[in-house]
Amino acid sequence: MSNKEAYGYAVARIRAMEQRLLDAAVFARLLDADDTASILKILGETSYASVLTSVSGDTAFDKILETALHDTYEELDSFVPDKELVSLLRLQYDFSNVKVMLKSIFNVRNGGKKRWDLLTSLASYPVDRLIADIESEDYQLLPFGLNTLFPKCISIWEQNRDVLETERLLDRQMFEVMLKEAEKLAMPEILSWVRTRIDGENIRSLLRLKRFGFDAARAWPFMHEGGKIDLNILVPMISEPFETWGRIVDFSDFSRMLASIDGAASFDDIIMDLERDLDDFYLDSIADSKYSPDAPGNVIAYLWAKEMEVKNIRMIIVSKTNKKDKDQVRRLLRHVYV
Amino acid sequence: METILATMADQLGQMLVILGAALAVGFAGSGSAWGIGIANEAAAGVMTEDPRKFGYALVLLALPGTQGIYGLLVAVLAMQKSGLLGAGGAVLTVWQGLGICFACLPIAISGFYSAIWQGKSSAATILMIAKRPEQIGKAVILPAMCETYAVFGLLVSILMLNGIRL
Repeated sequence: MSNKEAYGYAVARIRAMEQRLLDAAVFARLLDADDTASILKILGETSYASVLTSVSGDTAFDKILETALHDTYEELDSFVPDKELVSLLRLQYDFSNVKVMLKSIFNVRNGGKKRWDLLTSLASYPVDRLIADIESEDYQLLPFGLNTLFPKCISIWEQNRDVLETERLLDRQMFEVMLKEAEKLAMPEILSWVRTRIDGENIRSLLRLKRFGFDAARAWPFMHEGGKIDLNILVPMISEPFETWGRIVDFSDFSRMLASIDGAASFDDIIMDLERDLDDFYLDSIADSKYSPDAPGNVIAYLWAKEMEVKNIRMIIVSKTNKKDKDQVRRLLRHVYV
Repeated sequence: METILATMADQLGQMLVILGAALAVGFAGSGSAWGIGIANEAAAGVMTEDPRKFGYALVLLALPGTQGIYGLLVAVLAMQKSGLLGAGGAVLTVWQGLGICFACLPIAISGFYSAIWQGKSSAATILMIAKRPEQIGKAVILPAMCETYAVFGLLVSILMLNGIRL
């Protein structure tokens, strides 16, 4: 059986699993809910019912959403022919855990506490192993090239207390690993999606750096290689007004998305709109896979859709807790896949 | 040596009929098995999540199985025509045997390829009923389009068999 044919079962199962994703009507009800208890009740009528049993107060929502996402990753991991495909999306959590571990080390050395409570079970590298490796300083056991990068980050911090620099190095490593894994999979649509994500991340970083007054030379180290847009075109955009960014990259798929954002709005609004549109753009760029019954892209599309669903629920819950305006939250919600 | 060659020449017609029948059953049957296998993967995936869809899935994954039946039908007709199914067994010339063998090829070839593509088509429509079971009518029609060409192959094979004079 060829690799592509092996996805017949997986894609069919994913298509059936899509029935579990929340539709626009459920999100409308969640938005109209009065408080978190009402949200809980609505979620109890959906696929989240099975994980809701562990809830014990408002703060448990994060745990519920993490468990729901974790179950989804584990379930897909059990039947997707290439486990690396699922790991591709879990990579962000692996690196997030490493950042938490690093900051815990820095905190302890500054007389603070360890923040292991911030570690997530969504990572592909088990949390207890990560803790054991780092606590025993067996850094050579760490995956994803962290065996050398992790001690390097510690020494950078010891030399100049620059946490931002360590985060920059870890982010760069994450996208390098992601790209390498995607190349190893030899699936054109997956590689294309990863390169799109790298471009998106570069554009997002560029906008944030522009806000802090960075110029092209200072922004360059924050860019990730491997995207579809040449960095020689991308990085100089930082000195141009945001309204022109769409025109500068008019040869790329990002052009229309960038042009659709109101450039006259405040920086905060532009960043929020860009992050929302980028999340939707990543989904749209892989959603074409749904027309093929054996395309591996369906795995990424489903997982990304689930990630966005959880993000939407989290935003709604936080907005209810903080008594935010629901129309403002509605504007921030990501596209619903089903 | 001459005796062996003479015996072979006597039986070559029948051997060619057997070859044709074997090709018709073998290729059309293999195509069906392949096609059903492809559709089965999709059906199993959907049923893992929703076992209630078994009824819908069964209809769709059975569709590529018809080519195997067509192949079997043509093989039986070819053997019957040549007298292989009777007690005596007719003596056929090489040309008659060759004619029957060729008559089996349309269903062998069209059955093989159409069953595989019908299997792929069925798999795609099984995904469709995973989300929209109410569309089962349309879901059956789409892979049935591939069936048309297997039916053409069957028709031509039968017409050819009937056209051969023994």
